[in-house]
Amino acid sequence: MWLATGWLALSLPAHWRQVFVANEVAPGYLRPLGWLALGVSVLCCFKADHPSMAVLVWFTLLPVAAVATAMTLSYRPALLRVVCPVFLRAR
Amino acid sequence: MLNSFRQSMAWVHTWFGLVLGFVLMVAFFFGALSVFDREIDRWAIPETRFEPQPMPSYDNLLKQVFADLKPHPLDMAATAERVIGDLPAPETMPMVGLFAYTTHRDPVLRIGAEFAIPNKPIDSKDDHLHVHGWATIDPRTGAALPDDQLKIGSNWFYPMHYSLQVHWKNIGVFVVGLAALVMLVALVTGVIMHRKLFKEFFTFRPKKRTQRSTLDLHNMTGVVALPFHFFFAFTGLVIFASFYYFPVSGTLLKPLHDRHEVIEAEHTGLPHDEAGVPAELASVDAMVAEAKRIWAERDMAGEVGLLMIEHLGDANGYVSIYRAGSDRVALVGEGIHFKASTGEVLREEPPSDPVGAVNEFLTGLHLQHFEHWTLRWLYVAGGLLGCICIATGFVFFVEKRKQEHAKRGLQGCRLVDAMAVTTVTGMVLAAVAMLVANRLLPDAMPGRGDWEKWTFWAVWLLSLLHALWRSAPVAQARSNPAWREQCWALALACVAAVLLNWLTTGDHLLKTMLLEPYWAVAGVDLSLLACALVSVFTARRLARTVEVKQASRIDGVAYE
Repeated sequence: MWLATGWLALSLPAHWRQVFVANEVAPGYLRPLGWLALGVSVLCCFKADHPSMAVLVWFTLLPVAAVATAMTLSYRPALLRVVCPVFLRAR
Repeated sequence: MLNSFRQSMAWVHTWFGLVLGFVLMVAFFFGALSVFDREIDRWAIPETRFEPQPMPSYDNLLKQVFADLKPHPLDMAATAERVIGDLPAPETMPMVGLFAYTTHRDPVLRIGAEFAIPNKPIDSKDDHLHVHGWATIDPRTGAALPDDQLKIGSNWFYPMHYSLQVHWKNIGVFVVGLAALVMLVALVTGVIMHRKLFKEFFTFRPKKRTQRSTLDLHNMTGVVALPFHFFFAFTGLVIFASFYYFPVSGTLLKPLHDRHEVIEAEHTGLPHDEAGVPAELASVDAMVAEAKRIWAERDMAGEVGLLMIEHLGDANGYVSIYRAGSDRVALVGEGIHFKASTGEVLREEPPSDPVGAVNEFLTGLHLQHFEHWTLRWLYVAGGLLGCICIATGFVFFVEKRKQEHAKRGLQGCRLVDAMAVTTVTGMVLAAVAMLVANRLLPDAMPGRGDWEKWTFWAVWLLSLLHALWRSAPVAQARSNPAWREQCWALALACVAAVLLNWLTTGDHLLKTMLLEPYWAVAGVDLSLLACALVSVFTARRLARTVEVKQASRIDGVAYE
């Protein structure tokens, strides 16, 4: 989940610059990748719990992951480089 | 004046949000605490720190417990005011109905009973004339637990969440309902006002001006948890809609309602009235075993959560057994009803229709009877995000206006800021002070629970007075030192509560976490310590640069 929101965040130009301190924009496939990861997390939730429970877990996990990502961006942006290793940075 | 749509939305968001934000703050914070109400109860009543128990045997244990249960003096007094003539002596009143209730998190069992009285009501529309008796017992022995011990979690923090503890004409419930409605409005108007909803989804700039960073935090916590906020405000309204907000069936349509009850009783085969013929009670344990067998057959084996007997001792009596809902979200009891005198199955409740199922899911989502600890903590996180969102809303309101107010000599900001201090740090302080009082007051003290309540209100009132007294700098566009001072007080109170728990009960964290794990108490202690840490951090941060005001102090107030 954190990966997914991390990728989504990096796909926004302002945050990409924040993390990598370069005058470039993020590769275009990062955003679909983020959405895909969100999708995978839904599947994981459904696999782990009764469907009705899984929906709730996913919906409540979402804000927690998003806030975690945002706080990482604010205080330790370099940490987010982890979610985007070198081979993913090429365009 | 308001020439664009966005501006008018902003007006609604600002002013409705401000006025009812104080109520919402209470609802969100105590809602977050209520997620772990039973665990707070264990912390507050050390005698009940043992493992959760299943429903005990009726035939061997509960039967005797109920035989010893007498009408409660409080309800005797309340009922005496509603009837003509004197009530008979409590020992002579026959018990006509009873219930026993437990959940997968309850070591203790709540029981209650109805006693019949011969008196006529003063108000002829008053049709529910019984005297009630209630108790909390240890299900292992049947021993009653002292009645005047306040269950701080489930009987104080939880009702605070939905009623503000203002019970006169249920005003508290209506105010909270209005606040929930305004919450929905605030969410919609907030989204319309927001210029860069997705672009700034993850944005928080703590190093900018206070006004900017609080707005960032307000937007972020509001937007990312939007589904959570929406669903909780909405389901809260749904839960109370039929009972409090639109009780048409009990008022406007009362004759129809009463007639429907009778017809429904014919339809379901569950007698509406007594037969007037005395009858013995068959083995309830056998009925419980049969209910469990039926549930297992439906592939949803489970424990009994609620056991009720209607028309006790009468030929028309019946026993209703409901399943404890621990493995799914929807509140489904799968109730099975037995004839009390023979033990034969009278009725199995059919699966609900789609509308009913949606309703059960929505209410279950909010009331959370399920057994899923991760999800519980996520609920707490969501609730606290809501608190941050509201608190930053207040701070932003003040920051935006205080320069101008200072120039023009207005006092509005000063007042709002003091109120914000009271509802943010003051409220948490009051809750923790209550826990401290719980450990300090002597066990044998009469009315101990009432003293705990008074402590809660007194500390909250003091925090308001303190915030008002220290608020002068706000009128000069500086910040109120009360924020910082109450953070320190909060940190002290949290640590004191943990230490007092150790001193008075011997349950220190090493013991509750490692030696004899008891996570209900350990969780409360750990959360208190986390709260202390966050307060110290915030207080120091406020002291360093008075201008960089962080409203995220409630971030870690997840003491269970």
